Parts: sequence; structure tokens; C-alpha cells
Amino acid sequence: MFRKTLFSIFLLSLFFSTNLCLAASYEGKTIRIIVGYSAGGGYDTYARVIARHMGKHIPGNPSIIVENMTGAGSLISANYLYKIAKPDGLTIGHFNGGLFFNQLMGQPGIEFDATKFEFIGAAVTEDCAFAFTKASGITSMEKWMASKTPVKMGGVGPGAYAPDNVIRIVKAALSLPIQLITGYKGTADIRLACESGELAGTTWGWASMRVTWRKAIESGEVVIVLQAVPKPLPDLPKVPLAIDFAKTDEARQMIELGIHNPGLFARPFVLPPKTPKENVHILRKAFLDTLKDKEFLAETEKSKLDLKPVTGEELEKAVSGIFKMDPGMVSKMKDILFK
Amino acid sequence: MIEMVNAFFSGLFQIFSVATFGLMSLGILIGFAVGILPGLGGPTTLALMLPFIIKMKPVEAFAFLLGMASVTNTTGDITSILFGVPGEPTTAATIVDGHPMAKKGEAGRALGAALMSSLVGALFGAFALAIAIPIVRPLVLTFGSPEFFMLSILGITFVASLSGEALLKGLISGGIGLFLATVGVCPITGIQRYTFGQLFLWDGIGLVPITIGFFAIPELIDLAISGSSISEKYLDHVGGVKEGIKDTFRHFWLVIRCSAIGSYTAIIPGIGGATTQWLAYAHAVQSSPGKERFGKGAIEGVLGPGAANNSTLGGSLITMVSFGIPPSVMMAILMGAFLIQGIVPGPDMLIPPPKGHLDLTYSFVWINVFSNLITVGICFLILNQLVKITQVRGSLVIPFIILLIYLGAFAEKNVFEDLILVLAFGILGWILQQLNWPRPPLILGLVLGPLAENRLFLSTDNYGLNWLLRPTVLIFMGIIFLGFIYPILKKRGKKKVAIEIQKTSSQEGHEFNWDLILSLLVIIGFIFALIKSIDFDFRTGLFPWVIGLSVLFLTIIQFLRDFSIRAKKDKEYKPSILGQEIPREIVKKRTCIMFGWIFAYLIGIWIFGFSIGIPLCSFIQLKWCYRERWFTSIIITLFTWIFIDVFFYRLLHLPFPPGQLFLWLNMPSL
Repeated sequence: MFRKTLFSIFLLSLFFSTNLCLAASYEGKTIRIIVGYSAGGGYDTYARVIARHMGKHIPGNPSIIVENMTGAGSLISANYLYKIAKPDGLTIGHFNGGLFFNQLMGQPGIEFDATKFEFIGAAVTEDCAFAFTKASGITSMEKWMASKTPVKMGGVGPGAYAPDNVIRIVKAALSLPIQLITGYKGTADIRLACESGELAGTTWGWASMRVTWRKAIESGEVVIVLQAVPKPLPDLPKVPLAIDFAKTDEARQMIELGIHNPGLFARPFVLPPKTPKENVHILRKAFLDTLKDKEFLAETEKSKLDLKPVTGEELEKAVSGIFKMDPGMVSKMKDILFK
Repeated sequence: MIEMVNAFFSGLFQIFSVATFGLMSLGILIGFAVGILPGLGGPTTLALMLPFIIKMKPVEAFAFLLGMASVTNTTGDITSILFGVPGEPTTAATIVDGHPMAKKGEAGRALGAALMSSLVGALFGAFALAIAIPIVRPLVLTFGSPEFFMLSILGITFVASLSGEALLKGLISGGIGLFLATVGVCPITGIQRYTFGQLFLWDGIGLVPITIGFFAIPELIDLAISGSSISEKYLDHVGGVKEGIKDTFRHFWLVIRCSAIGSYTAIIPGIGGATTQWLAYAHAVQSSPGKERFGKGAIEGVLGPGAANNSTLGGSLITMVSFGIPPSVMMAILMGAFLIQGIVPGPDMLIPPPKGHLDLTYSFVWINVFSNLITVGICFLILNQLVKITQVRGSLVIPFIILLIYLGAFAEKNVFEDLILVLAFGILGWILQQLNWPRPPLILGLVLGPLAENRLFLSTDNYGLNWLLRPTVLIFMGIIFLGFIYPILKKRGKKKVAIEIQKTSSQEGHEFNWDLILSLLVIIGFIFALIKSIDFDFRTGLFPWVIGLSVLFLTIIQFLRDFSIRAKKDKEYKPSILGQEIPREIVKKRTCIMFGWIFAYLIGIWIFGFSIGIPLCSFIQLKWCYRERWFTSIIITLFTWIFIDVFFYRLLHLPFPPGQLFLWLNMPSL
């Protein structure tokens, strides 16, 4: 017994001493950003461009590398960050923030408590715009609401924030005629299905849509009829907001907690729970400084990467916000999203 | 028109500036190495190179990236032929006949043929890209989900039919592949199927560990049994390479047809090199005389996939350029490159400058042409050295092959569990090989399974059952039907000959019938899987139920057939394994030892991590199992260590899992 205690004290002291040393300075250290998706995707691209510039904003100028830990829609990396990664401020996670919402929805396999992560911030939010082809005839909200047949919209699979969750919540909250057809491999496949007339339209992040679908949107072949954001996006000033069509408090709450909040924390940079406050503070500041860095901005400008910084505090608030949802709403939401 | 011609030549001149050509050469060099190394795939490397293109001009950037992308399949063939380890997942089909050729001492000829056909394929792909540009858009837009579904079914039936006499086994194998493809989160309902609580199975069973395990491990066992070098005969000289080049022209039409298969099926999103290589292989088998030669070193089996996996790039680029829809992972990453360069792939790419970027599009054609010319040129220069690897004694190559197997399996998704998968599928692949069950249909089923399931539900959700009556769907059905009828009609004429051949099979009557055991295991496996699937709801379960029940039914027929053959006893079938002149006892012993080592490496990696585990195992194996000299053992061990620790860990930041030992001791791993 005594030996065991002694040993655990030894381990604990080892643990804390390394912790303290690391908290003091980042000099000569290497920070790893663990990305939950494979190299070349959106999450990876943001992580890598941030990794290239963030080091110089951290005291001691550590080098920052990116590692890809793929699998289960980035859940493997999220669990890893929560359970295995050391809270020494040297491991940063970048995975799908939609998993926080899925925790609330009781998704199996989640082994973390979202509210216990330490949040650094996010470089961009997921602001969904609803797009339809001109050929589908859905060119305005009036036409959509008047449609006699359900309008076919493409999805990628249950549990995905966009398009699936956003479409399902909007359908339920606004009683819009929608037939969600899900199982496409990605938004590129959905785009193709829209152009061939198989689908009428879909929704996903405007930042990505306006780049990949630019030609069709400019020529009027594809029309944006709705946006699911709290305030109109700068380049979509006249497109109506989903929340303005909500007639009841419940509908409004659904859109706020099911779409707006998760949109804010869709692409978070997080630290393991119990990371020393000092490290959290340093990294939060460095993160925001990086997003204002001139060279960084030049690079993102060139790569057409959208930026809309969210602070760590804002993320924390948005995440804890969804966990305040009352149980009745939670079970209703489960029905909407998974039935 | 004149503008188009102008753009065509402007594209050519653009790549001959010093900077562009230099960057293209650099890309080729990187692609060369990436292609040769298994696991380190084209897509990953391309992604890692993206940051470097930010400061480049568009033509330079694409010269660099496409130069890299267009050669990985060419050099991947080299690893496949020499070691039996797929250099890229898209070059697995080359192993089936290419590696047996290397074993027969014809490595030079196989390499010559693979490289030459790759060149022809690449040129064809580039050409296809150039001429398809105006017509591709309307063509692809006639394809909806129903057509995608029919296409994947066509692909699987086509490849299953290449199993020749063992048609039933081929269908079962393809069915097992389709069934394995249902492992993971159901794409339609989001419910987990057969994941057994394992997160790494959520995305399904990875193609890379299966392909590597399936082909490389059986070849490794063969190598260990033979106790010699990879090439058992010392036949080959420089002449072999020339012979291989001549072979390409002897079977020129086959090469062209396979190139066409590669290019034109790759236009379809979701179909990439992993599929087209097998379609081309199947076509080579189907259209060549003497099906029994295949799998034992038939030159057509090298030429077909060699051409197709290279012509695929041209086809994928067509879809990418004209729609901005990336049809494969590689293209998705290339799309990132387009966006970085401020270019949105799409109709603009087909309009001559100054309004569009047609000159850039044509420069892709030229880059593709020149990088392949250069690569094949370099390859021919070093080919003689490469061939010598097959004459190095097996004991020196084996540790390196095991290293490639585990590293390759790990590098795709960076999860340790894939190492267990590679071993499990290695054992399965070895059993299938021993019993003459075809392996390619299983791989193809696995690749096309998700496409088939998704598109089946998308078709039904979009169109109800009306999709079955679409004209294009009916045409596909006709083709599939003909595919089944044709071999039967053809067989009728040849029936008498077939009977003659069957009678010559060997007659070791008292041998235990392993075929029977395997069928029985498959039956038990499927019954178990179907019982587990009872509580799936309709949409989650439909695909596994349909596939599972059909395979169960087919396997029972196979079992009964084997059983009746066993009853007759004299018709006992004994597989022809390699090294028959070696006494059976020694074969058994060497097989067990080799499997023991493969397992030992896995344990070594688990306990000590990659950086220590693999060199440690290599050293013990070299010094005390093969009794190599100290000097040789240390040099090779050092080499494996540098390969893993310096190259993969420090340079490429592969997140190797720490050894368990360090976790137990709570020490930082090295």
C-alpha cells in the first residue's frame, strides 16, 4: 500500500513538474496540431496555414507541426485529445465541432465532455446558404413556400451539421416543403446532381459555396434564397434569414441552438481539459494575433480562405449554451435529426 | 478554332520556361519516390506539397503538382512487380501477373512492358483529355444516380466473370468484398454496422491494408518458402527490358483498349485508378487466348493495368476541368491547388484566353505527356540496377518487405489497428491463394460497394422505382446480361476440351480438403453476420441482407459441389503451390516461421513503437534466424531505422503510436 502511494506520488510529481516546466516557456518546443481529417481537406488547409504563422506569435517561438488523425468523422481525434493527449499546451486539436452537438444528441462513441475542453478559438464559422437551381423553379422564398411538391435537397448523411442537420431543422422549424435525399459523398456530388436535375438544391457553408459554385451563381443558374445565420452575410445583404420566418419561440430556439450556435463552433481549435490557464491564455492571444498577421492574411487571401475569427471565450459560451437546452427540446431535436 | 490551336501550342511553350521545367522535374522526382514507396500515396503527398505552390504562377504550380501526380502510378508498378507489394493502391493489379514474371526471372521484361504500357496509357489519357473537352459536359450530365449504380454493378460482375472456370468462387469473392464494404457507419441512416465498438471501423475497412495484406503477405511467404532470391531463375538480362517494350507493341490494341477503359471510366465521379486497373485486367484476361496463363505471369496481365492506371489521370482531369467536380481523392486535392491559384475549375477552363484558361488546360496535357516521357526515360536507364534486386538473396530483402507492409498499412490513416487488419487479411489472402480462390473481385467489391449502396438508395429516393425504366439503365442491364451470356455461349463450344483438362488434375486422395473447410467457414461467418444484422432497420439492413443472403446461397452451392467432388475422391483437387520441388515438411516449417516473424514484427511495433520495434526485429531476424554476418545485419538494421525514424518520423511527421512499453513506464517515447 505504502509503496503504491509512494509510486503514485512520484508519478504525480513527475506529471506536475513536466507540466510546470512546459507552462513556463515554449522555447525549443514543438506544438502539434492534430487534425481530425486527412491532408488536403478544409480542416487540414486551415490548420496548416495557421501552423505556418502562429509560431512567431508565441513567446519562445516554438515550431508547429500538423498531424492528421483521421477516422469516424474526426471523432477519433476528438476522443484522443480528451482522453490521451497530455494537457501540456503542446497538443492542439482541430476537429468537427458538430461533435459537441452530437454529444447532446447522444451519439454513440463519444468519450468526451465538450464543456471540459479548453477553447483557443476558430478561424471561420459555418454560415449556411440555401441554393437552388433556376431550373428547379425555387428562386425565392415565396415560390418555395408555395411549392405543392416537396423540394428535393441533397445531404451527405445523418448527423452532419451541413447539409443534413441544417435542412432537417429548417424543415421542422419553418414547415417548409422539403424532401431530404441523403447519402451523397460530398457537396461536389450534390452539385453535380443539382446540375443534372436530380436535385433542386442544397445548403452548405457560404464561404466554400461561393468559390466552388461561383460561375453558376454569377450567371444566375443557381440562386441563393435563404441564409441560416443570425445576421446577413456581407455579400448576401438581401437574402432573407431563416430565423425571421420562425413563428413560435420554439422554432426560434431550434434555429438558434441547432443552427446558429453549432455554426459558430463548427471548426474549433481546442486544448485538452485541464491545460494550465497560462497556456490557454498564451495560445488564445497568439491565435487571434495570427489571424491579424499580414503575411497570414496575404496567404489566406491568395488561397481564397474565408476568415471570420471567433474568440475562445465566444466558443466556450456557444458550446455551454447548447447544453442548457431543456430535456423536452433535446428529445424533440433528436426526433428531428435522426428519425 | 484558331484560338484553340493557339491555346494548344501556347500550353506547350509555357512549360518550357526554366522555372516551370525545373519545378516539373522536381515534382517528377518526388512522385517517383512516392510511387515506389507503398502506403505513402499520391494524394497525401500532393496535399503536403500544397503550401509550396502559393508563391508559384499557375503553370508552374501545375507543372509541379501534375508532374508528381502523373508518375506515381508508373513507378508504383515497379514495386508491385519487384516485391509483390503494391507501390500504390492503384497498382495492385500489376502484381497478379507482374510479380510471377519476376519470380520466373523475367523482371526486366515485366518492367519494360509495365513502363512502356504506362507511357502509352498516359499519352492516351492526355490525348483523351484534349479531344474530350468539348463533348464531356453533356455526356456526364446524362448520368444520374441510377446510372452510377448500374455502372458499379457492371464493374463487379465484369471482374467476377474474369475468374474463368472458378466463376462461382469469383462471385462469392466479389460478394464478400461487397459485404465487407458495409462495415462502418451506414451512409444512409448513420447507424453503425459491424463496428464492434471500434472507432477505426466507422469509416469502413481501409482499401490500403487489405490490398497490401492480400497480395504482399502471400508473396512474402512464397519468398520465404523458396529460400532463394525473388527471382528463382537467373535468366534475365538487359534483353528482357527490350522484350517488354516489344510486347507492348505486339499487343498494341490491347494496350489502347485498356487505356480507353482507364480514361473513359475515370470520367465518372467515384471511379479512380483502384477500379480501372481491375477493369483493364479483366478485359485483358477476357480478350486474350489461354486464360489459364493468367496469374502465372502472362504479359497481357501486366500491360492492361499498366496502361489503365496511367490513363486514368487524363480521364479524372476531364471531369475536374469541365465541372469543377473532383472525381477522386487526388483530384479533390488538386482542386485545392486550383483555388489557391485563384482559378475555379469549370467551364472557364475550356474557353481560350483572354476570357478563359484553355491554354492552362492544354498545358496539363503537355505536362502529363512530358513528365511521363521523362519518368519512363529515367526508369529505363536504371532498370538494370532495379532488376538486380530480384537476385539479392531473400533473407536480405525480407525484413525490408515486412517494413514496407506495415509502414504502408499504417501510413494511409495513421492508426495502429490497420496493422492488425493487414495481418488478418494477409492470412486470408494466403488461404485464398493456396486454394485458388480469386482475390481481385473481393478488392473490387470493397471499392465499389459503398458507391453501389449509396446510389441504389439515392436512385430509389429520387425516382421511386421508375429509375429501373430509364433508357440508359436498360442499356446497362443489357450489357450486364450479355456479359453473363457470352461466356456461357463461348463455353459450349469448348466444353469437351475443358473435361480433358479436369481429368489431368493430381490425385493425392488422402489429402484433407481445405476448400471444404473454407466454404464452411464462409458459411458460418455469413450466418453469424446475418444474425447480428437482424435488428438493423430496413434501410440500414437492406444492402447487407441482400448481399449476405446471396453469398450464403452461393457458398452453400460451392460447399455441396466440393463435397460431392470429395465423395468421388479421385477428383481431389490439389492446388499447385510454388516450390513444389521442396519437400512438404520444409514448406510447412518455413511457412510457419515466416508467419511467426510477421506476427513478431507486429508485437515489436506494439511494444516498442515503429522506430525501435522494426529495427530490433530486423536485427534479430537477420542475425539469429538467417545467420547473416554482423556487418550485414547492422547495416540493414541501420537502414531500416533511418528509413523509419529519419525519413518518415522526422521529415514527414507521420504520427507513429508510442510503444506500449513507454506508456507502461510513463516515459516519453523516442
